[in-house]
Amino acid sequence: MRVVVTGMGVVSPIGIGVDQFWSAAVNGVSGIKRITSFDASSRRSQIAGEVADFDPSTFLSQKYIEQTDRFTQLALLAARLALEDAGGLDAYESRRIGVSIGSGMGGFSTFESSALRKFRNQPVPPFTVPRTMANSAAAWIAIKHGFKGMNLTSSTACSSGANAIGAALDLLRAGRADVVIAGGAEACVLPLTINGFEILHALTTTSNDNPAGASRPFAKGRDGFVMGEGAGILILEKEEQARSRGAKIYAELAGYGQACDATHIVMPDMEGQIAAMREAIRDAGMEPDSIEYINAHATSTPLGDTVETRAIKNLFGARAADIAISATKSMVGHSIGASAAIGSIATIMALHTGTIHPTINLDEADPECDLDYTPNVAQKRSVRTGLCNAFGFGGNNASILFTTHEGRD
Amino acid sequence: MDTAEIEAKVVQFIATKVENLDASTINRSSKFEELGLDSMDTIQLLFDAEDAFGINFDSEEAKGFSTVGDIVSYIETHQSSAASQ
Repeated sequence: MRVVVTGMGVVSPIGIGVDQFWSAAVNGVSGIKRITSFDASSRRSQIAGEVADFDPSTFLSQKYIEQTDRFTQLALLAARLALEDAGGLDAYESRRIGVSIGSGMGGFSTFESSALRKFRNQPVPPFTVPRTMANSAAAWIAIKHGFKGMNLTSSTACSSGANAIGAALDLLRAGRADVVIAGGAEACVLPLTINGFEILHALTTTSNDNPAGASRPFAKGRDGFVMGEGAGILILEKEEQARSRGAKIYAELAGYGQACDATHIVMPDMEGQIAAMREAIRDAGMEPDSIEYINAHATSTPLGDTVETRAIKNLFGARAADIAISATKSMVGHSIGASAAIGSIATIMALHTGTIHPTINLDEADPECDLDYTPNVAQKRSVRTGLCNAFGFGGNNASILFTTHEGRD
Repeated sequence: MDTAEIEAKVVQFIATKVENLDASTINRSSKFEELGLDSMDTIQLLFDAEDAFGINFDSEEAKGFSTVGDIVSYIETHQSSAASQ
């Protein structure tokens, strides 16, 4: 049984909707700017990839805005765009429509503002819990559209979106759903999360005056990631049913691999990354030799990008140099639980359009990062298979494999 | 704030809780149920009012509220005592 992608929706710092997002990505546009959602002037890291022109009142009533955290609002918009793109799901029975969403922090913005009120002895807003809970995005997608099937949330830090898409593949294969709305959402450009990642030395602090040049995966002298936010949603269906309703098919979701390091809570581990990629390829019934594109996890941390490079070289051997690689985070920053969902959309668009978006800010590569990362300028290259990597705190490594629909026959 | 102003503010909060509700149809005797407010909407309404008027609803007393007038009267009474403290 094959699972195919029939709709996509994205809300990102470089565009809302796939057309805007992809056009900016291919042109190497940076969405990183100085933080506007709060006063970050006293922080060591003062920049982020915010979705600046996001206005929930364009698609939600005041009542729903009051009851939802920003991460849920981003997810609701991405889901709406994806459903429109898929042409609606009227052909399906509502109990057979599942939702599988990833988010690392859930409604952390609500948590932070409610906690602040509590510490000031002010009344806590009544929707604090339903807005904060990690499954609120998945729940609201179900409520807004009447999807009454399996409703799951993956919270595996930076790999949440990949795990949610992988879980959707499992649900479809197991026959627990006929269609799944899958992806990730995150909105944690917040004082506490910025501070929390700062204290771990995970964020870049040297580019406050040059935000567009701050996120520089694989580059010499990179010093950390840039916080981002956004949402990415895919509509996943069984091929047969998608065909029978006449849906357009972007790509096949062919494989999913997950592996836990079981070593350190925040440090990356090459073996776990290799295991996740290998499993995704095996799951698709393919061999490493057939992989032509990798949307790297590549957050722009000194250690992470080097370890991922080594993992790719170990798994693919001499062929690693021939694989086109790119880092979406160089333009949008790291949107934690949404990042792999947005990366998946970039992967699917690479397969669909035959264009690899660039890794920007890559003028001089780190000597230890010596693969083809598509530096600065997009490349026309027809690729039939693409892995999207996501490696998260907790030693969680996930990799998902998309193929052109024709590429597998 | 006088009664009319309090009432206008409460009506405005209610109108954001229920989709497609015509605010001009809301008056002091309107019952929450009839307006389409569920229990969570009512809790949120009290929270909005606490923030806007700088008062605290006694939770036992608030359980007995069933109309717009109940809230407006409570605010009227407690607003003045809050101001005189």
